[in-house]
Amino acid sequence: MERFSANKRNAWMGWTLLLLAIFVGTPALVFGAAAYEGKVLTIVVGYKPGGGYDRYARLAAKYLPKHLPGNPAVVVQNMPGANSIISANHLYGVAKPDGLTIGTFNNGLATAQLTKVAGVQYDLTKFAWIGSLASDAVILTIRSDLPYKTVDDMRKAKEIVIGTTGPGSSTHDFPSILKEFVGFNFKLVPGYSSSADVMLAIERKEVDGRAGSYDSIKPFIDRGLVRPLIRSRTASPGIETLPVDEDLAKDAKGKAIMVVASASTKIYRPYVAPPGTPADVIKLLRDAFAAMAKDKEFLAEAKKTKLSIDFTPAEESLKVVREVLNQPPEMAQEIGKYIKFGE
Amino acid sequence: MFESFVEGLFVVLQWQPFLIMLMGIALGFWVGLLPGLGGSTTLALMLPFIYKMTPVEAFAFLLGMHSVVSTTGDITSVLFGVPGEGTTAATILDGHAMAKKGEAGRALGAALMSSLVGALVGAFALALAIPVVRPLVLTFGAPELFMLAVVGIAFISSLSGQGGRALLRGFLAGLVGLVFAMVGQDPQAGVQRFTFGQLYLWGGLDLVPVLVGLFAIPEIVDLAVRGTSIAGELPQGNLGKGAWEGVKDTFRHFWLTIRCSLVGTFIGIMPGLGGGVAQWIAYGHAVQAARDLKEREGFGKGDVRGVLGPGAANNSKEGGALIPTIAFGVPGSSAMAILLGAFFLQGITPGPDMLDKHLTLTFSMVWTMVIANVVTVAVSFFFLNQLAKLTLVRGAVLIPFILFLAFIGSYTSNNHLGDLVVFLACGSLGYVMIRCGWPRAPLVLGFVLGKIAENNFYISTIRYGSSWLLRPVVLILVLLTLAVIVYPLIRMRNRDATPEKAA
Repeated sequence: MERFSANKRNAWMGWTLLLLAIFVGTPALVFGAAAYEGKVLTIVVGYKPGGGYDRYARLAAKYLPKHLPGNPAVVVQNMPGANSIISANHLYGVAKPDGLTIGTFNNGLATAQLTKVAGVQYDLTKFAWIGSLASDAVILTIRSDLPYKTVDDMRKAKEIVIGTTGPGSSTHDFPSILKEFVGFNFKLVPGYSSSADVMLAIERKEVDGRAGSYDSIKPFIDRGLVRPLIRSRTASPGIETLPVDEDLAKDAKGKAIMVVASASTKIYRPYVAPPGTPADVIKLLRDAFAAMAKDKEFLAEAKKTKLSIDFTPAEESLKVVREVLNQPPEMAQEIGKYIKFGE
Repeated sequence: MFESFVEGLFVVLQWQPFLIMLMGIALGFWVGLLPGLGGSTTLALMLPFIYKMTPVEAFAFLLGMHSVVSTTGDITSVLFGVPGEGTTAATILDGHAMAKKGEAGRALGAALMSSLVGALVGAFALALAIPVVRPLVLTFGAPELFMLAVVGIAFISSLSGQGGRALLRGFLAGLVGLVFAMVGQDPQAGVQRFTFGQLYLWGGLDLVPVLVGLFAIPEIVDLAVRGTSIAGELPQGNLGKGAWEGVKDTFRHFWLTIRCSLVGTFIGIMPGLGGGVAQWIAYGHAVQAARDLKEREGFGKGDVRGVLGPGAANNSKEGGALIPTIAFGVPGSSAMAILLGAFFLQGITPGPDMLDKHLTLTFSMVWTMVIANVVTVAVSFFFLNQLAKLTLVRGAVLIPFILFLAFIGSYTSNNHLGDLVVFLACGSLGYVMIRCGWPRAPLVLGFVLGKIAENNFYISTIRYGSSWLLRPVVLILVLLTLAVIVYPLIRMRNRDATPEKAA
């Protein structure tokens, strides 16, 4: 009985496939129910092995086969350069839209597109979005031994020295916008080679604080070296009650810039397929990601490896991208002054 | 503390961690040999394998692998003139020159033995530094790091040839290196420098394609032009028996080896100085050991001390680099940054706890580095004399193989066509420099130190105004810089007064 119904299903699928082939064309023929059988799905990562983007992609590569029909092999291809613009351009213009190549790149690429950074060839709204695996809050932290416990304490401070890795990273842009539009007396010291180096500078009291991803600063908060004071709109468990930068802004312009700057933290680990990837294939990929994000084993391994998971589906991800991109041109120019995009 | 020290050893010697460490060593052995595979990339790729291991097993595996990479990387550098790792390029200068003189075995013996000494010194430094590590690292802020970079750059004076003309060439080459370091987006204003509209150049030039081009291509061309084997037409008497001689060299110049190991350790401890720096400063220091003009001229043409210095330093720096990683959770090199990920995977937060609650684990890392290097060097010695015979293979047979390694090695740094362009451009540059008698080492020194000097100078000035100039450690480093510059000159003068006999 079991066997019979399976055969019947197969026959039914065969017909569907044939019909699809007639109506949609050849790509659909390749992708039926057992679409990915014997195939290799490549995840293009815009960074070198070892970083956050790479670690998420490798985790996904391990669990995606289980959730895709035909259980394909999934491999990671690193394509570093220009803060992942190279990989985004590749996915946009070079990679075949056959569902066998997907990719992940910097969540701030929307800002790069908005401010018309040289070298950008992609249009984020045209990608076939799959979704985002995680979100992350950007926070500002100050050394715990300093007397600044609230936003008001900070307002009264004569000077607070903030170490950064340079324009184009949240370690720099977040405090620089706060300085401009809330009016803190920050002195930004850019040029540290990594955010870990800034942490060490805090430890030797060369600087008073730093901003950056909550995930990466958390160990140092737990250790009592720094305390969090302000966060961006995307909250994470444990820091929900912190004041949000947008509520502190002096004017509407400042608030708008903060929104654009931190909108993309909602889609911290975005995944897309090349534009023109057939709809049925995209559905398979979206379903696979959604199912994976609920997979208990996947979540357990992510937790163990300190990769937080907070899945945002395609529609919502695209909405975030549009929110950033739908700025009037004069606003885009203003934003470009405060948010740089670079390596 | 002593208890943990001993316990750390026994923990590593349990059969399970030990077997896992041997696997790591075997892997690291090949990663080091092949120029395409870098130590830090491989570390990143191996991270998923440690999920199910205990912390001791995980670090035995990762560190076992990582700590032998520079050891076997030296082998490729010596034999083919292609850096096996970005951190073993300095070994080429004299190591490969020795291979060309038919002394490949001796060079390999010296490289491996000095690597072992370096690893031991690094590991012991790590063990000894544990009580003082926090104040030590915290003393070095941006101003001190800037001055350290200046001390490094001052070594150009001993890396250039003798005489005013040569010195001028050395400094000009150093300046070219500094310009190389400027390529990419500057971290102060976010401005693109020398990127010529190429996305590839945003992140700056990568160390590996530059080094491989600069050193490998001239050797390949040279080999092709000569039409012989690497060791040329030399009498082939004891070519394969030299390894033991190299070991003896290590002990003949024992203090030099120790000093270079200490240099490596110290540079490793300083976060942000990067893995490429130690070998070159150690090489500069080895060159300073030249007693007279004639000896000085021998460097770059196959002086065994030019192998011992970088050989020791590129291993000892790993012990040093572990120190800030463990004590502060701040990595001392790119490989350590990835290792830091491993700490988190294991649920351990690096920081003061490592020197207290997890002290046994910390010492198990020290022991892993020691054991891994002892094993590798012992195993390598079985092959050394056979490996040395590769220098007798006809060039026409070797060249495609070397060229292939060099191309792959460059390409794997970004998987981008730009890597090959940089590789070929630097290759041409290297060839022209050799033909015209310009030294390449100062260029590399400028390249690896340029960014460190620039960024830390900027941070120091914006943070402290000009008051940083009077910080005590800065003043000491200023004196050291002067000493580094003046030392070769004084040495030469002394020689004129009282000619020494070479020991």
